[in-house]
Amino acid sequence: MTSPTTTTDNSPATTLGFPVAEHPAPLDELLGDPFASDNPTGYEAALAADDRGEPFAAGEVVLDRAGLGAEYVPAGLGGRLTGVDTLVRRLRPVFRLDAGLGLGHGLTTLMAALNVWTAGDTAQRARVARLLLDGRRLSVAYHELEHGNDLTGNHLRADPAPQGFTLHGLKRVINNTDRAAGAVVFARTTPWASRPTGRDHSLILLADLTALPDDTFRRLPRLRTSGLAGCRLGGFEFDGCPVPADALLGGLGEGSSVALRSFQVSRCVTAGAGTALLEAALFGVHRFATERVLYGRPVSALPHARSLLAGAFADLQVAGALARAAARALHLHPAAAGRYAATAKYLVPRLVEDALTDLAVLLGARSYLREGEYAFVGKHLRDIAGLSIGHAGGVSCQLTVLPELPGLRLTGPPADPALFDDSPTPPLDPAALRLRGSREDPLLTVLAHALDDADPHPGLAPLATGLRAELDAVRAESAALPPAARGVAADHRALALTERYAWLLAAAACVGTATRTGPTGGTPDPRWLRAVLERIGRRSGRLPEPRDTAPLDALYGELEHRVATGVSLDIDPEPVARRPA
Amino acid sequence: MNPADTADTVATPADTVATPADTVATPAAAAEELERRLGPADPADARARDLADEREEFPRADVDALDGIGLARHYVPVEHGGLLRDFPATAAMIRAVAGRDLTMAIAHGKTFLGAVSVWVAGGVEQAARVAELVSAGVPVSWGLTERGHGSDLVAGEVTAYPDGDRVRLDGEKWLINNATRGGLVTVLARSDPAGGPRGFDLYLVDRRTAGDAYRPLPKVRTLGIRGADISGFTLDGVLLDPEADRVGAPGSGLETVMRSLQLTRTLCATLSLGAADHGLAEAAHFATGRRLYGRPLLDLPAASRTLGECYADHLLHEAFATLATRAIHTLPGELGVLAPAVKYLVPVGTESLLARLRRLLGARAWLRDVRGTEVRAGVGVFQKIERDHRIVSLFDGNTVVNLNSLVSQFPLLSRAHRRPRLPEAGLAQAADLTAPLPPADTSRLRLMPTRGASLLHELPDSADRLAELATEQNELAPVAASTRLLADRARELLGDIGEQPIVPPDVPAHAFDLARRLTWALAGAAAVRLWLDSHAHVSRGGLGPEPLWADGCWLHAALDRVHTRLVAGHRPTAEEEHALERTYAVLTGELLRQTGDHRFPSLLHIRRAEAL
Amino acid sequence: MNTSESTATPAHVDEVVDWLIERVAEYREIPAADVDPDVPLAELGLDSVYVLSLCGDVEDHYGLVVEPTVAWDHPTVDALAKHLHAELTGGAS
Repeated sequence: MTSPTTTTDNSPATTLGFPVAEHPAPLDELLGDPFASDNPTGYEAALAADDRGEPFAAGEVVLDRAGLGAEYVPAGLGGRLTGVDTLVRRLRPVFRLDAGLGLGHGLTTLMAALNVWTAGDTAQRARVARLLLDGRRLSVAYHELEHGNDLTGNHLRADPAPQGFTLHGLKRVINNTDRAAGAVVFARTTPWASRPTGRDHSLILLADLTALPDDTFRRLPRLRTSGLAGCRLGGFEFDGCPVPADALLGGLGEGSSVALRSFQVSRCVTAGAGTALLEAALFGVHRFATERVLYGRPVSALPHARSLLAGAFADLQVAGALARAAARALHLHPAAAGRYAATAKYLVPRLVEDALTDLAVLLGARSYLREGEYAFVGKHLRDIAGLSIGHAGGVSCQLTVLPELPGLRLTGPPADPALFDDSPTPPLDPAALRLRGSREDPLLTVLAHALDDADPHPGLAPLATGLRAELDAVRAESAALPPAARGVAADHRALALTERYAWLLAAAACVGTATRTGPTGGTPDPRWLRAVLERIGRRSGRLPEPRDTAPLDALYGELEHRVATGVSLDIDPEPVARRPA
Repeated sequence: MNPADTADTVATPADTVATPADTVATPAAAAEELERRLGPADPADARARDLADEREEFPRADVDALDGIGLARHYVPVEHGGLLRDFPATAAMIRAVAGRDLTMAIAHGKTFLGAVSVWVAGGVEQAARVAELVSAGVPVSWGLTERGHGSDLVAGEVTAYPDGDRVRLDGEKWLINNATRGGLVTVLARSDPAGGPRGFDLYLVDRRTAGDAYRPLPKVRTLGIRGADISGFTLDGVLLDPEADRVGAPGSGLETVMRSLQLTRTLCATLSLGAADHGLAEAAHFATGRRLYGRPLLDLPAASRTLGECYADHLLHEAFATLATRAIHTLPGELGVLAPAVKYLVPVGTESLLARLRRLLGARAWLRDVRGTEVRAGVGVFQKIERDHRIVSLFDGNTVVNLNSLVSQFPLLSRAHRRPRLPEAGLAQAADLTAPLPPADTSRLRLMPTRGASLLHELPDSADRLAELATEQNELAPVAASTRLLADRARELLGDIGEQPIVPPDVPAHAFDLARRLTWALAGAAAVRLWLDSHAHVSRGGLGPEPLWADGCWLHAALDRVHTRLVAGHRPTAEEEHALERTYAVLTGELLRQTGDHRFPSLLHIRRAEAL
Repeated sequence: MNTSESTATPAHVDEVVDWLIERVAEYREIPAADVDPDVPLAELGLDSVYVLSLCGDVEDHYGLVVEPTVAWDHPTVDALAKHLHAELTGGAS
């Protein structure tokens, strides 16, 4: 281990110029050093619970005591939810430890509650806020086995009845069905028609599941999964279950339009939380590489190992930059935020999975073990697959983005520089989120302007030609797509455009980060931008493995420095409780 | 050391070997024979396997079933009284088992890995002793790796030092398959305190005589193959006969292991092929039953294409693994290049294939109790396939080890390719699936393939042959062009490899990328040769699906998959894309036909028990 | 917010009907005469993706930012035209 060149005590920034948050995330302190074997909320205990297929009880106790439920409740309703990226930062320590804990304890509750914050009336909002502040859970019931992510095909019916509705049908693969206090259910409220109209479904808020008559409502047996094994996925069965009229969330037929706006928020939270799995694994595998001796020297001294670690660090930076920009766009550029959310939810888990796979190569056989100090890396690799399936799989995110690509315009102003830092954001206004993203693309415009710059940023300059060509090609090829090729009938090349667009957005988020200025910004070293843009080129299959290792070497130096000084490896670093071996 | 020991290991010429009556002729026939004997796969068994996996139970019934049909005899060479004459036949049988359940294949097939060093370097009497035990169903284990050193075998700390007229073994081996169940264990141990390439011996430890001096370690808990007996053992003064129990000459332990690994690394690919057979069948089952957005999943062009590309990857893997397995017989001197390339590419390629299928299946790929619309405990097998399969890229030489092995051969490879060479008869033999194989002669395995890789050497000629065929048969034009492009790119790659200075162990990261690309070039070249040298025979004999072989269809797709990995930024022109679309449509259709007819997803016709 | 270069304000709702019929015909690659303005867009084969494209065209042509929900709530060419015309002319249709 090399000794740090600077210390956080005197210096607010890392070697590459990233400002370090003053305080650790509160949950990081409460959960403690995950490697400490006597820590009841460390990796060993989390893995043991996962192994038994049980929720991580000790972890849930800590989260309950910390009142995590309040993080999901808007400040106006008595909670602590102000900014989506702030929420992600607060959740990161949980996801570093155990994604199953994060999802099972509460993230799915947030997914349900978002519909209430978006469309609920005053009484509904107050009731659900109370529930969450009391530490209770909600299930979010969209999924039906036969329809997957195709919401328009959902069958569960809410038929009109004198008292309100009666529910008929099944929901499966729903988190926490056996212990949720309430649920938000996506239900068909029009007769089945072969052509979906967009107004076929409504959202039903079941605030108290125990109040439903036993003979018409059943919680279905648990379904086991191979990842997120501590999550209790089950289902609901309704057989003529009566619900009152005031259970309707939003207007009749507004189910899709409300859910599609809620998704924009939950996609950003999931993507951001997903980066924490990579952050934790990267720290762990780096620690392993410094301990492990092969061919007479630490693995971390082998150029190939350093390159894998630095590459995964670059991946984390890219993923973090994109996830943060998407989350902050919900506040700062809501008209385009749906496109960014879908893009982040598509690309970030993929990138995290690819990087975890690389790290597993370095860990070797230990990546396959459910025991030992590094078993959590293999678990994270299993769990990320579950996070990326979630309620919005990759392809459904791509199909959200694709129809918007042909008409994109880069003529408006570039994104607010605040998209790339952690300054306070204006409150989230769900009504400002749109089902169809704006033609203007403020984030991509950041990249276009940087490429147009006569004196380009030194980190961008060596890669500018390739990025410009790719940007032009994606726009031209998208513009040429006939409407029939923009939907489910899209071929693989059309669908690939959404992936290429995602890489461009990631590049734009990195450029924005590297060129930010301002009170809370901190301008990173140009080598950082060069390294992450080269990484984007390589991961997207556009560029070969770079011969010049200097940019990645600089990143490796940053990685070692952060590890040595107890600072997280995120795009917005913060002090962490864990210590190098 | 009796020098005759080594000479005795040279395989007896085939014409003097009495071939047992039930030795099966072709790999397809071998796999079908195994399928017939095991009978149709019982869905109840598959569900029970998942639940047993959760409980971490050894797959006793499965292994008993394989013992019951005498599969282990196919791990024993015919010259030692077994049924292993052609490696491709045994490989095909293991593939069929892996296609049912990978844990079962690994739990049973491990015996082959444990015993192989004895076939490679053991004396006649020793081999006869081991052959008898293996044939009787005694599990054999291979004790190579240690807790602190993993793949760095030269750092091994288990010792074998003289103790009177005996040799005494001490130390610990870890992450060893069958370490607890194994009746016989081959152990790599340091015989010279100074170590070094001649400082290790390989010993046979018989558990019956070792007694308490051999202590199994607790079972290691793994992500997949949870039922398998993965553990380790400590040796505390195990006393052995320094001559009778040593495998090969003194100081030859590492060399024997390296040569044995050439065989086992090649054969490991068959585990990946089996896992992909299984995964593709599950994906086809899902895709044919699924409706999304009001239409069948397969009507969504991107979904259909994904399935076609995954199948193309699988066929490429099959072609490469098949050619390399045949090369054990016909081109043993080049196995030093082929084995690490196959061991890297096929498992890693299969991991990415399974990951793509997982994304296609969505939540189904991840649920243990759901398959299609069926909800039942243990019915969701896809997650187990992917989880189990991850072990394949990790054991018997992981990704880093295999790529490193190729990097160390860079100077030889580039030098060999600057010299003119006559066509290699052994390559033509390996590439013609209908050519009879000479007996395998493991004494011809070379640690360093001084003659390079004839696959790459002859690739420009192959491109010429295809170009010529394309002048008569216009449909071959896209394949011929793609082959030419491959030859050009392989030549450039060899040029880059020649310029790469190597300073072990400080291999620059860039060299690993060159090695990775080299494996894809080799796989592409293998596919080209296999098609060129086999297509006429396969078509004439009706040995494989004609739509795949006609017009070089499968090769066209396989090369497309190679090109996307071989160079960054590969993007077909609109015209090429048009041709590829037709090709992938044929492939997707053929995959559905094969899985629907209970055949293996394969270049050849191989029926499962259900179709026999 | 998003106003495009060519923002036409239609004098009469029929102009919007004609313009929408042209779009539908173009998307579905059918003669304009085959587009019945009283038939739901879904039945004309315009699924949600076409609706998104149509909203984009409305924005480009009329400078009016609309959500796909307009087509859910006004599901025929006629209904949609009335709604768009009202929006463009400040309610006087």
